[in-house]
Amino acid sequence: MKLHSNPWLRTAYARLWVRAKSIYGEPLWVAVNIGFPFFTSFSLTMVYRAYGLNSFTGFAILGGVMISFWGNVLWSMASQFNWDKQVGLFEIYITSPAPISAILVGMSLGGILGTAPSAAMVAILGWLIFHPPINAIWPAVISVFALTLASLYAMGMALSSLYLAYGREADSVNEALHEPVSLISGVYFPSTGGFSPFPLAVQAGASLIPLTLGMDALRRTLFFGQGFGELYLDLELLALAVMGVVLLFASSKALKFLENKGRRTGTIAVRQR
Amino acid sequence: MNRADAEITVQVDGLRREFDSKEGKVVALDGVNLQVRKGEIFGVLGPNGAGKTTMIRILSTLLLPTAGKAGVMGFDVEKEPEKIRAVINMASGAERAGYDFISARGNLWFFSQLYGIPTEEAHRRINELSDMLGLQNYLDRKFYALSTGYKQRVTLVRAFINDPKVVFLDEPTIGLDVMTALSIREYILKQAKEHGRTILLATHNMAEVDAICNRVAIIDKGKILACDTPAALKRSLGAPSLVLEVSPIPAPGSLETIGKLEGVKGFTSSVDEERGLSRIQVVVDGDRTAQSVIDSIRESGMTVVSNWRQQATLEEVFVALVGRGFREREHEAA
Repeated sequence: MKLHSNPWLRTAYARLWVRAKSIYGEPLWVAVNIGFPFFTSFSLTMVYRAYGLNSFTGFAILGGVMISFWGNVLWSMASQFNWDKQVGLFEIYITSPAPISAILVGMSLGGILGTAPSAAMVAILGWLIFHPPINAIWPAVISVFALTLASLYAMGMALSSLYLAYGREADSVNEALHEPVSLISGVYFPSTGGFSPFPLAVQAGASLIPLTLGMDALRRTLFFGQGFGELYLDLELLALAVMGVVLLFASSKALKFLENKGRRTGTIAVRQR
Repeated sequence: MNRADAEITVQVDGLRREFDSKEGKVVALDGVNLQVRKGEIFGVLGPNGAGKTTMIRILSTLLLPTAGKAGVMGFDVEKEPEKIRAVINMASGAERAGYDFISARGNLWFFSQLYGIPTEEAHRRINELSDMLGLQNYLDRKFYALSTGYKQRVTLVRAFINDPKVVFLDEPTIGLDVMTALSIREYILKQAKEHGRTILLATHNMAEVDAICNRVAIIDKGKILACDTPAALKRSLGAPSLVLEVSPIPAPGSLETIGKLEGVKGFTSSVDEERGLSRIQVVVDGDRTAQSVIDSIRESGMTVVSNWRQQATLEEVFVALVGRGFREREHEAA
């Protein structure tokens, strides 16, 4: 079968295109996508410097890069179907023969593609201004980064069905999740292991969030020269891969379940007019 | 399947749909039966809350029936939704669905991809359908920058982008100006006539049904009250109806006696505040009843400013079937 005649690929590509184009359709969003994470990174880099921890300034810049993706997962991935439902797009998806998994994957890839340039800008500006020390094993960095994004966006897919089920409170849930998850997953500082300020129970809970494991593994590979074969890093990579697969499967099942439930209860097409 | 059956594209048998509400069960559809044939524009006419949208949602696989059967192109809505989705499309007049920061053309291309249409073919269809609706010059504008009327045209291009065999349209011209509504009706007519598509049109716009529907089912409180061609339904009333303008504006409930007169099938009234009078349309069985209505109004102390007889409209068919007009029915439901 030719690639271009595959309906799944067509749907995924089209959804990717819409997402990426929408992100860059509004210049203010682009500025916000770069501005907010960079300003936070800038502030925290100054804090690290003030305490003479120059060798850790990279943590804050890496945090700025990854927080762009986390924001995208939360605001443009998890709550997307709920927003689609409000404006009538979700019922268009459901009444079409398009596979919902293709729409989800397209949304994720489009989100990554749309966020990557802003994240790259944060990284470039941070590196140019602060020159953080880097001791990277690049193949490991790239693998960890790819796996982190995969499981993070799979989490976004799973959350999208949850938000769909709970409807209009999505924005408040986003507000409630954004900062606490950023905190416990250790975006700007190690939140697991010996340097963590959190008790073991919180660390264990935080480890169920792909962002936590991803951040820790990225710090290990980017700043501490760890590569494949390091036991803890390998375990984190394995956990990220398992989380990605499980969340992807769970989201697909949950959406199918919600579609069937919505057809029974009549909630698929309920929207604001 | 015999030859006659092969022409049936939508089949509904004993369809019932209930919804749970705080007050208990609400019956939206109550044993609906209908058949729609290939190439037919079939109207489902009724006031708001009559069950039209529920029926469209069931047929377009968004909702499951509580009881009964519904099928599209021979596929069961309950068991074979995927097969139905491949051959249908739907659009609602209340819908303004599109991605704001993408052009109308981009949005339409995106929707075409949900059906796996090759890009070249998708663009050919977008251009062809947009031409019919006068959308061509607006295709490259961002969706958010389009007026309500043009967004609605985008929605209607979307509804036919996949070359569907059956299209469900829910109030496609609601809230639009007369000229836009006219061009949309022409477009719907062409789609049925030239491409043999079946179109099921839910509306409470009687002029729309009169203008484009081959047949119409009149629905109220989830039940089909009558089903025939618009002309046959109007003919079924027999006598022309009576229209009266009376003054002063009657108090609420004071017209109830009209409905009780022998030979009156129903009536509906509206207020003309500017002229300080009330217009009453009465469906009567003949001249004698018309005269007794006029006498009754005079006896109640009102002045009949003018009165005339007019050929029945679909609203009067509804009034004859229900005893009340659309507006009164919606008011009762509210």
